[in-house]
Amino acid sequence: MNEIFDRLLIRILLTSFVCLCLYIYKFAHIFLYPSHKKQTLKLFYPSANPADTTHLYSRMIGIAIIYSSLGFNEGIGFMMSSFHFIVWGTLTSFIYLISLYIMESIVLSKFEYKDEVLKKGNMVYAVISLTHSLAIAIVLKSIVAHSENSMIILFILWLLSMVIMGFVSKYFSLVTKLSLNKLIIQKNLSLAFSYLGFTLGTGYLMAQCFDQGHFDITMYCIQVILKMLLCLIIFPLFNIGLKWIFKANITKVESGSSETEQDMQGYGYGIYEGCLFLTACLLTSLIVNKIQFGTIYPFF
Amino acid sequence: MMQKIFLYVSLILIYLGLAKALSPTEVGVNYLPNEKGFAKILPGKQVTAILTDMHATGFIIKTYYQKYRVIYGFQHLEEIIVRTSRDFALKNSKHIGMSLYRRLDGKESTIPMPPGTNFIGQREFGEWKAIKDQEVWSFYRAYKNLPKYFGWGEFKPDREFYQAFSIALEQKKPFFGNKNQFGESGSITIANFPHFFKEKNKEKKSFKTLLLDYLKENF
Repeated sequence: MNEIFDRLLIRILLTSFVCLCLYIYKFAHIFLYPSHKKQTLKLFYPSANPADTTHLYSRMIGIAIIYSSLGFNEGIGFMMSSFHFIVWGTLTSFIYLISLYIMESIVLSKFEYKDEVLKKGNMVYAVISLTHSLAIAIVLKSIVAHSENSMIILFILWLLSMVIMGFVSKYFSLVTKLSLNKLIIQKNLSLAFSYLGFTLGTGYLMAQCFDQGHFDITMYCIQVILKMLLCLIIFPLFNIGLKWIFKANITKVESGSSETEQDMQGYGYGIYEGCLFLTACLLTSLIVNKIQFGTIYPFF
Repeated sequence: MMQKIFLYVSLILIYLGLAKALSPTEVGVNYLPNEKGFAKILPGKQVTAILTDMHATGFIIKTYYQKYRVIYGFQHLEEIIVRTSRDFALKNSKHIGMSLYRRLDGKESTIPMPPGTNFIGQREFGEWKAIKDQEVWSFYRAYKNLPKYFGWGEFKPDREFYQAFSIALEQKKPFFGNKNQFGESGSITIANFPHFFKEKNKEKKSFKTLLLDYLKENF
């Protein structure tokens, strides 16, 4: 009974400890994003600005996703395991915030948080930001799990993931018919849904590509790059296949180009595209990561 | 549209090139285009290369691999896997268990012969012994393992065998033994290279049997 009670007590203490880490993260957020001071220091009214709420709380979900990959090993002692958690928690939070900053600098370089979220309450900007928060968190979770408690490996894998994510964000313009910058300005949610499906899907794909056994870091990185290349080959096939199977009447030839454009900018089109992208990514992951060739060929 | 197709094809080519260049199965595997290539990959004065296994990979573009047991006169034996050309692989498809390359004091031969022929009649490795009414080749104690490495089993070469393969070598004709004991259908090869023949003679199951086995295992 004593042991069970101790374990429960340790769990409660560690829960408080994780909350303390989140509190520290909140201030790290202010340090890295001085323009968001108001969001975190003053009392927050979620209903006042839904875009701001989405923007802030999506990061909370992201950090929770990353923290879920960490763990406590009580075998090395309560203090040491807590210290390990705080070191890795701080490190991953820091990397997470830098990753967010880099991604937003790439994708949303033409927009300012203050103008779009605080002044205009632009939900499209907020949803794109939410998408980045979740996708980066999913990828970082996989990287942290495979860094085997080595900061050098974590740093190398993080750099690799950032390069791949940068390329993937540019890939979006190749597969969508929607104009990113134009529709953010117009606050058109069609783009938000499409981008959400695409980025969450590619984030999951990347996480799956990083999820493989490794002995040699160079070979591991090469394998990840090869898998991502394979994803780039398979993804368009699924995208075309899904569009062919679930045919949708989008292009109205007789009604002229302006009406077609209008049709594409409706919420429905964004949801349609987002669903297609997400499905294609999930199925691509199946083809790239879940096929075990085993002894398809004879071996010596 | 054309630009997208070009990009996609380039992507496939980059992937294939990178995957091939970095594949672990390609690293450290020598390429043997034909019998002339042996000289480059096999060092040593007294050496013989016995083909012990072979297979092809790829449904459309095939790559041929061969496995050799390389036996040296004065070193430990080694096993090597080489990638080879289609012509060379098909040419030697019936030469399993046979020596495809021999070198004796710098003199090379690439005519398919039973394994170990370059060691028979060499006084530094053994001697002719009279057993019953015939003379058979017997290796010295230091080389007692050579017949096992050659895959001879209980076979002991006699004078008749020696003369027959010497004539075949002079005539530059492949030799499968005076009683056709060696090669794909030779009794000695079949008995001493079971791994190759086990793979080759693997029983093919019918779809019905496969389905029943699957149902039994999973439900």
